[in-house]
Amino acid sequence: MKYSLLLIALLSTSSILSAFSLFGSDEPSSQSKDGMPEPILAPTPIRIANTPTMEPVTMPSIREPLLTQAQRIRVSVIGQGVAPMNTSSPAQAYALAKRAAIADGYRLIAEKVKGVRVEGQDLIKNMMTQKSTIRTSVNAMVRNSNLVETTFKDGLCEVEMEIVLSYVDFSL
Amino acid sequence: MRSRNGNSSFIRRFFFIIILFYSLALNASEYLISYRYVVKNLSIYNETLLVSKAMKKCTGHEQQSLSLETNKETNLKKIISNNFEKFIYFIHKLGLHINHKDLTVNYEYSSTTILTLKTTCFKVHINDNLAIITPLK
Repeated sequence: MKYSLLLIALLSTSSILSAFSLFGSDEPSSQSKDGMPEPILAPTPIRIANTPTMEPVTMPSIREPLLTQAQRIRVSVIGQGVAPMNTSSPAQAYALAKRAAIADGYRLIAEKVKGVRVEGQDLIKNMMTQKSTIRTSVNAMVRNSNLVETTFKDGLCEVEMEIVLSYVDFSL
Repeated sequence: MRSRNGNSSFIRRFFFIIILFYSLALNASEYLISYRYVVKNLSIYNETLLVSKAMKKCTGHEQQSLSLETNKETNLKKIISNNFEKFIYFIHKLGLHINHKDLTVNYEYSSTTILTLKTTCFKVHINDNLAIITPLK
């Protein structure tokens, strides 16, 4: 009985030792041979066969037009506007829609020339989006813009507006 | 030596010119004008044009002027209301401040655009047929 128990113990220790030799020593050896602590290394990434390799993509360099003394930049936009519901006549509807379209055109010019400030906020609760908010704002001063063309169709007024930017406007 | 008749016509013409210039100078006055309009969700919401006579002398250089037909009217507010579109177009040319705000909440969009002409002093010169409006900057 004693011998059998001893045999079982020996077998179990031998199987444990063989398992350690297969997977390597997983126990972190915090101290080296010199007694100094070894630096903790990052685990090596596991490579899976047939993984598509990602190659770096070079983006084409987009050059925005630069304002120089020799050239002018023409910015053209199309603003849209609709008439309010409570208008007394089609003429009033047209006039008000045109005014709204001009404001939209001004805004688009300001967006193109000066830029837009964008703020976003998402509220996520229990892994679900509860509320999503995006705020954009534009603050600018536009002068010397030209009204090129106005069209009014199906209650929608569209105005084509343009502004010519020259070096002199900004150098003074 | 000049005759009496010749002298009198010369003096009369001289006085006429002085009176004319005086009358023109008296008619020239300065006004403060401000303009603002609000567009909400691509539809016009509110438009305000405020005109008032300046109580202090304005300073500044004269800019490009606008001529409006008076139709024997001397009140500037009435002259402007008769030529409203032309005057608004002129104001747009002067330059407007743009304040635009967009808000998108849960993919529902709303926008507000405010265009403003800050209170600007205009020199107004009213003749029989024309009102010459010149902004001062």
